[in-house]
Amino acid sequence: MMEPSTHLRDKYALVGAGHSRLGKVPGVSAQGLLEEAMLNALDDAGLKTQNVDGLICRGPDEIYTFHQVMGERLGIDASFSTTLTNGGASQVMGVALAAMAIDAGMASCVLVGYGRDNWSRVHANKENHMRGSGRPQQMYGMEFGPEFGYYGAIAAHGFGAQRHMHDYGTTREQFGAISVAFRNHALNNPDAVMKKPLTMENYLAGRMIVEPFGLFDCSLQTDGAGAVVVTSAERAKDLRQKPVLIKGFGTGNNISGWFNGNNMTHTGAIQSGKTAYAMAGVGPENIDYAQIYDCFTYMVLVQLEDYGFCRKGEGGEFVASGALGLNGAMPTNTSGGQLSEAHVEGMLQVVEGVRQLQGIYGPERQVPNAEIGLVSGHGGNTVCESTLILGAI
Amino acid sequence: MSDDYAKAIPIPGPESLPFWEGAKNHQLMLQKCSDCAHHWFPPSTVCTGCGSRNIEWVASSGKGKVFSFVIFHKLYHKGWDGEIPYAVAIVELEEGARMLSNVIGIPVEEVKCDLSVEVVFEDATSELTLPKFKPV
Repeated sequence: MMEPSTHLRDKYALVGAGHSRLGKVPGVSAQGLLEEAMLNALDDAGLKTQNVDGLICRGPDEIYTFHQVMGERLGIDASFSTTLTNGGASQVMGVALAAMAIDAGMASCVLVGYGRDNWSRVHANKENHMRGSGRPQQMYGMEFGPEFGYYGAIAAHGFGAQRHMHDYGTTREQFGAISVAFRNHALNNPDAVMKKPLTMENYLAGRMIVEPFGLFDCSLQTDGAGAVVVTSAERAKDLRQKPVLIKGFGTGNNISGWFNGNNMTHTGAIQSGKTAYAMAGVGPENIDYAQIYDCFTYMVLVQLEDYGFCRKGEGGEFVASGALGLNGAMPTNTSGGQLSEAHVEGMLQVVEGVRQLQGIYGPERQVPNAEIGLVSGHGGNTVCESTLILGAI
Repeated sequence: MSDDYAKAIPIPGPESLPFWEGAKNHQLMLQKCSDCAHHWFPPSTVCTGCGSRNIEWVASSGKGKVFSFVIFHKLYHKGWDGEIPYAVAIVELEEGARMLSNVIGIPVEEVKCDLSVEVVFEDATSELTLPKFKPV
């Protein structure tokens, strides 16, 4: 039986967080945006590129060994460095890997980041837009999909949403409660892309894209980047910000397939959360806020269940109860998330998770008395999950 | 059958050729483990139930149920122009394997989880037949 190592608990810290300009940012590459975010994160920590000896990053999937591209552009040699290729689960996993690398003596100060120029690429030509993504067509596989008109992450996640609605009576109005809650958060975030209020009426009037998902179930198409700096909790004491401790982390990968067993209604978050809670020595009842990977509304609902914030099948009622608000039972995606702030594949969830514990916000955005937070990453087109539990010092 | 077929043409991997050859002959082919009788899809070289290499291709009954489905209201590929909205489903076959296909022959509003369906073969081109599903 696998048991997570509790000796890592509270030993490593996030000492800086930053993001780039978000939204429609023409004239700058994913690499340029990531540099912007990384320098902002280093400034936040009071560190320079010369202090960095570890680099873990991800960019557009078609760029081979992206960390080498970034190292050259930043002028960094690193004793530990790699590109992660685990979709939206990569970014949280990058933080976990940084802690493991430092613990193994492979590095002492690790920059972790992700950057994308998705908006600019997708909207650069109409053909790309038709494919519903900026990715090359062959990445969807060449059989058992496109010949049946099956395209995009939206359809994969839509299968899960539909089965959850069938098994548990979950409704589109309940998905809508997630969109509305995150939009309300975004209105208190000056950097968020979405600026206009969203009502349930607006949500329900949104055009259908791939049913059961309409326009407002879908995350944004944006350019942007985020980055954080990881070092030892000991060293963190001498740096600029109040350190944010890494209490625990976990991963869970249902790579036998989204269509296999009940994986689409019982996600990798079950395993990932269990591991992270055990390492951190806490349970869902100790979590003060959550930053949940929200590619589509349904993924928030099912992850909230799988992390134990409500019972399986009760996610719909939970989100509709007002739980996701700043004073709700589980304040969630307090920056607006990928549905309303910007879609940077979970990296902004990490950044927001850190800032809540740095305690830098005013009352309109600060979760009151926040001491422990949970951040989730979800990706690999549905089946991979990673979890981070952060704590105030 | 049409020579100006505008939808995506699958490019089979080496392991899935028997599936596509079977479809051309209007048979729904699945892999089965000779040791544990597990059936699975998509094709591989190993039983996904027990890890055995001792595997074979068999014809499915073609009967099953919709495990889940989505309805495309947005056009992602020009080959589907004029067919929006259409249903894409995960069908769980009687043998236990699940596969992606289309549910046809009923209005999309009537597609439901657990709907009983059976395979029908759509000859798309002279070289390509697609297994699709209609309500029983």
